[in-house]
Amino acid sequence: MADYLFLIPLLPLIGFLINGLLIGRLPKPVISLVGCLSVGGALLLALLAFFELKGLPVEARVMQQVLFAWIPSGSFHVDIAFLLDPLSAVMILVVTGVGFLIHVYSVGYMHHDEGYGRYFAYLNLFTFSMLMLVLANNFLLMFVGWEGVGLCSYLLIGFWFEKKSASDAGKKAFIVNRIGDFGFLLGMFIIFWQVGSLDFATVMEKAPTAFSFGGGLITAACLLLFVGAIGKSAQIPLFVWLPDAMEGPTPVSALIHAATMVTAGVYMVVRSNVLYMMAPDALLVVAIIGAATALFAATIGLVQNDIKRVLAYSTVSQLGYMFLACGVAAFSAGIFHLMTHAFFKALLFLGAGSVIHAMSGEQDIRKMGGLRKYIRITYLTFLLATLAIAGIPGMSGFFSKDEILWQAFSSGHGSPIFWAIGLVTALLTTFYMFRLVYLTFHGTERMDTETKHHLHESPRSMTVPLMILGVLSVVGGWVGLPAVFGATNYFEHWLDPVTAKGSELVSESVHASGGGNAGLEMTLMFVTVLLVIGAWMLARYMYVRHTETATRVREKAGGLYTVLLNKYYIDEIYGFLIVRPFVGLSTFFWKIIDVLVIDGFVNGLARLGALSSDLLRFVQTGRVRSYATLFAAGVVLVIGFLILR
Amino acid sequence: MTIDAVIFVISAVVAIFGAAMMIAQRNPVASVLYLILSLIAQAVIYVQLGALFVGIMLVIVYAGAIMVLFLFVIMLLNLRGSEELGKPSGRVSRFTKYVITLLFFVELIFVIRGVALPPAPELVTNQPDAFGSVKAVSMLLFTKYLYPFQLTGVLMLIAVVGAVVIARREHPGELPDDTAAESTLAETPKEGTKA
Amino acid sequence: MTDYVSTLSIDIGLIGPELALLIAAAVILLLIFTRKADRFATAIGLIGLVVSMVLTVRQWDVKVGGFSGMVTVDQFAVLFKLLFAVASGLTLLLAERYFHAKHIARPEFTALLLVSTMGMMVMAGTTDLIVIFLGLEIMSVPLYVMAGFNRRSLESNESGIKYFIMGAFATGFLLMGIALIYGASETTDLRRIVTDFSYIATNAKLFLFTGAALMMVGFGFKVGAVPFHSWIPDVYQGAPTPVTAFFSVAPKAAGFAALLRIFAYGLKDLGALSDVWWILAVLTMTVGNILALRQENVKRMLAYSSIAHAGYMLVALAVGGADAASAVIFYLIGYTLFNLGGFTVVALLETRAGSRADFSEMAGLSKAHPYLTATLALFMFSLSGFPPTVGFFGKFYLFSAAVKGGFIWLTVIGVMNSFVSVYYYLRVVKVSYFDQIEGRFVPAPLSAGVLFVLIVTAVGTLGFGLFPDNVLEIARRAIQAFA
Repeated sequence: MADYLFLIPLLPLIGFLINGLLIGRLPKPVISLVGCLSVGGALLLALLAFFELKGLPVEARVMQQVLFAWIPSGSFHVDIAFLLDPLSAVMILVVTGVGFLIHVYSVGYMHHDEGYGRYFAYLNLFTFSMLMLVLANNFLLMFVGWEGVGLCSYLLIGFWFEKKSASDAGKKAFIVNRIGDFGFLLGMFIIFWQVGSLDFATVMEKAPTAFSFGGGLITAACLLLFVGAIGKSAQIPLFVWLPDAMEGPTPVSALIHAATMVTAGVYMVVRSNVLYMMAPDALLVVAIIGAATALFAATIGLVQNDIKRVLAYSTVSQLGYMFLACGVAAFSAGIFHLMTHAFFKALLFLGAGSVIHAMSGEQDIRKMGGLRKYIRITYLTFLLATLAIAGIPGMSGFFSKDEILWQAFSSGHGSPIFWAIGLVTALLTTFYMFRLVYLTFHGTERMDTETKHHLHESPRSMTVPLMILGVLSVVGGWVGLPAVFGATNYFEHWLDPVTAKGSELVSESVHASGGGNAGLEMTLMFVTVLLVIGAWMLARYMYVRHTETATRVREKAGGLYTVLLNKYYIDEIYGFLIVRPFVGLSTFFWKIIDVLVIDGFVNGLARLGALSSDLLRFVQTGRVRSYATLFAAGVVLVIGFLILR
Repeated sequence: MTIDAVIFVISAVVAIFGAAMMIAQRNPVASVLYLILSLIAQAVIYVQLGALFVGIMLVIVYAGAIMVLFLFVIMLLNLRGSEELGKPSGRVSRFTKYVITLLFFVELIFVIRGVALPPAPELVTNQPDAFGSVKAVSMLLFTKYLYPFQLTGVLMLIAVVGAVVIARREHPGELPDDTAAESTLAETPKEGTKA
Repeated sequence: MTDYVSTLSIDIGLIGPELALLIAAAVILLLIFTRKADRFATAIGLIGLVVSMVLTVRQWDVKVGGFSGMVTVDQFAVLFKLLFAVASGLTLLLAERYFHAKHIARPEFTALLLVSTMGMMVMAGTTDLIVIFLGLEIMSVPLYVMAGFNRRSLESNESGIKYFIMGAFATGFLLMGIALIYGASETTDLRRIVTDFSYIATNAKLFLFTGAALMMVGFGFKVGAVPFHSWIPDVYQGAPTPVTAFFSVAPKAAGFAALLRIFAYGLKDLGALSDVWWILAVLTMTVGNILALRQENVKRMLAYSSIAHAGYMLVALAVGGADAASAVIFYLIGYTLFNLGGFTVVALLETRAGSRADFSEMAGLSKAHPYLTATLALFMFSLSGFPPTVGFFGKFYLFSAAVKGGFIWLTVIGVMNSFVSVYYYLRVVKVSYFDQIEGRFVPAPLSAGVLFVLIVTAVGTLGFGLFPDNVLEIARRAIQAFA
């Protein structure tokens, strides 16, 4: 059993080796074939593994494959071993599934790029690293994958390194991520120090005895691990790299910076859920940071004009949602949202890529408009994804978002404040997403004639993945229907074996309160849906209705003019009273906090390093006698320290 | 104060004085002469301690042979005065150096006074086979310390080789001057394989 | 080992590895008179090294002393001797090409390198302070000459002279330290110091402390600990690059061999040293990293980086204990490989006319030499400690030993430092992959010898990273030899 598990990451690795070693020597069709088939094969194997796992009784749903003992010596034992349990099964399906579609999409998208071979090599390497990350059965191997995806992200963001902004963005991503890794590493040291092992199963089993519940050490370990998650998953205050990461090719943004890599932090927190359950303080920090990021990024998303940046802030915001779920101990809800988000956000990015492709590289939505006539498939799929992210009932995003909101409200770790923040975020999300849709696909055509002349739908290799993801964005949520509908929440039960041990630790079960209050849950859901539709209508009003009316009125002139004027007037007041402060606030967040405080801090650190470097260089005079003086001073100090102690 | 103590103090002061003056001189010939003075004073201390062989070796080898060699070199190179020794250090850096040196000596004094040394053994200089005599030293050198003794030979050898490498005239593998070097260097990359 | 009495004991078999190198060096020196040395020097040197390695490996399971206790053969000595021989052999292969390209090739170089390596072996294979000192000198004197080997280059001359003066200065302190230890314990044999430690410590503790301090300084100089490091940048930059490569690994390893023998074995019961090591380690890694940040010359950057790495390794001495000691040996093995590898690439680029190995010269490297650049990137990742390279595991073992010993803050500072270092290592990767070059990139010629060095170092860097446990196990066994 499970003896083919190692093939899942191995196939992309082989793909990487073929494409990487024979760079510049293979024709494009071969490159695409190798690139896509290796991931496609991994997808088939992942499906096979998934069904095999599903066939097992619930308690026995764990498959381990120990390839070989990596570091068997002494007290420190680490294996190269893979772990397939319900959690990693979901993850490998997402990674290989979405990954495969994006590989296919890239065949069309990158067709004219000179770095075609390099691109596919990196992409395969990324898939390999990501699969190592989610399949690892211990922290150390997971860290290897963790660093690997970071490296690939760096390489792919800076893929068009001729652009200075691209290579700067790559560097920024890398440096910010390293801050996170530093936390991860230290957290890992503490775990090893206390438990004596890095193996997931052993750590989770021994943690309740090795650490005291809610003690300082376990809180420190969890918080340090969370620092790693913050870096990788772009949360406050380390999210700055993600918007800049949009400098990379769009399929990369879809795969790495939306669907898979950035969710690694969420995966890691869920994987260590036993540890977090033992540290309620750390859990609270996770929830607060998640909620704050969700709200904060959503407000910034309101004012962005670059199509990819809107989506980038949206990703940050949705990741905050997932952490909010983890923070209120609703781990399965977090993973559920991770999965649905992977579908619709990948679709949004790929759709954006298709738009940019059609617009000959233009990314500014103020210069778009009315595109739905020209790129019908892109429009429809993009709309589906928008409905999903907005949480319109029936779409995948509805179920996962609702689950998180309800858990934030009702869970033993939750509070109505978290629910309120989540709700506001959901409204803002709906608003900016529809604003994006309307400005891009509806309204007047604001592009120049040259661009307009070239408008065309993307090739089949790009639209087919869009359609498949479109279907997934709709049906992807149906595996986790809320219990309150009388349906079985398959998804939650699927993850039960993973989260059960954690919830046993706490006396009041997380889900107990949920079942008892069906009426309240229904009410909240209803309120949410109503408000979301309201936000949608508001966006429609502002970006479709208003402009259309305006043009018609201008043609006819006459009696309706006053009404129009009135509307215009209302719009002004509205703009003055609501939009301006909002814009002001979000510009404040964006300009002041993001650019000044956080960038300033990062740059300041660099400048401090440079400054102290310059100061220290004074000592390095090049003269032997000053060297000897320094030396002798050192001698005097060392002896003095030892004899006067 | 015994006569031994008087001799010790005098020769110790002379040794330190000679060493200090040696560094302070800007004229290399004077430096060498002061060094010889210091070495002779040190030899006296060795003899006093019963290390007759070491004391005599110090005079014969260092003061006699090596220093004479130094003098020859200096005279051959015609180094006369304080030429080309570079800028003297500034006042602050000189002060720092004095302070550091002073602190070092203070520390040493503290250390030496802090340890209760055993009383000095009776002087045994006039017994031929005893500690410090030629026979005793060579017994040790050729038995217990055979390995380190041979190693010093290796050290001498390689020091000589090193000196020759630095001083000897151009070798066929080298080029006489920089212009020739440039012209041939430009040709070398061609034969290389592509990495 | 009870033969401290003056009996003659000659155990030629025990010093086989050293003798092989000495004989090879002597043959080369003799051949110079026949004018054939030019052609055969490298070959003879390699043969000598291989013979020496074979003889060393055969000593693995032996644990004996000889020459009246002056020579000790144990697994610790064997491991270090092998490391020196490997570093020396790789340097020789690298130097051949470089010295010819720069037109400074002379057969004496091989002889000097071999004798220097022999000195290191002497240092590792003894427990006697006098022999350690002699080994150190036999190692150092050829190094001074090798630093100044490019006689036409002012920088190289300056490098040799500076190293010589500072080296002599440091030797003075070291010798005084040994004298004080002798004064305290009436012996120079570390084994006797261990057995009689409590007696010695009650009588002359201050001498022990001062002697220990001075020896710390003397060896600290060799490994490049701050504030005894100031010679490193100038000497490393001025010396011919293969020599610099050798400097950055072999004498450092030899210094650590001596430090481990003295402080992890001989004086392990002397308290309070841990605090000094703590301070030195933090100073060393921090100063090294901060200064490396702003360098424009790759060689000088690597010089500072080698200081920083010495700082990480000093952590082991602050922590103490078998875990930390085996971790530092593991670190040294890995460091020798990837640092030599990094310098090899730099040396290769420098064989191009007019090159000074500045950062800017690396622009466009990836286009001209894709595989070479990938290898360079591998070394840089290993230097900055990424998994799955050996550099990661070196740091990992070292810091986990530190955490286990309760040195949390030291670990935090160390990990933060290695985070800072990523910046300048990745700059090499960034420049060689991402920066645009003006004009055409002049390719550098790759010889079979250099290719071999690159393959060995790259395979080692990656292979020991994928399978670190065997190496760690060997390091553990070496440390057990102390018990």
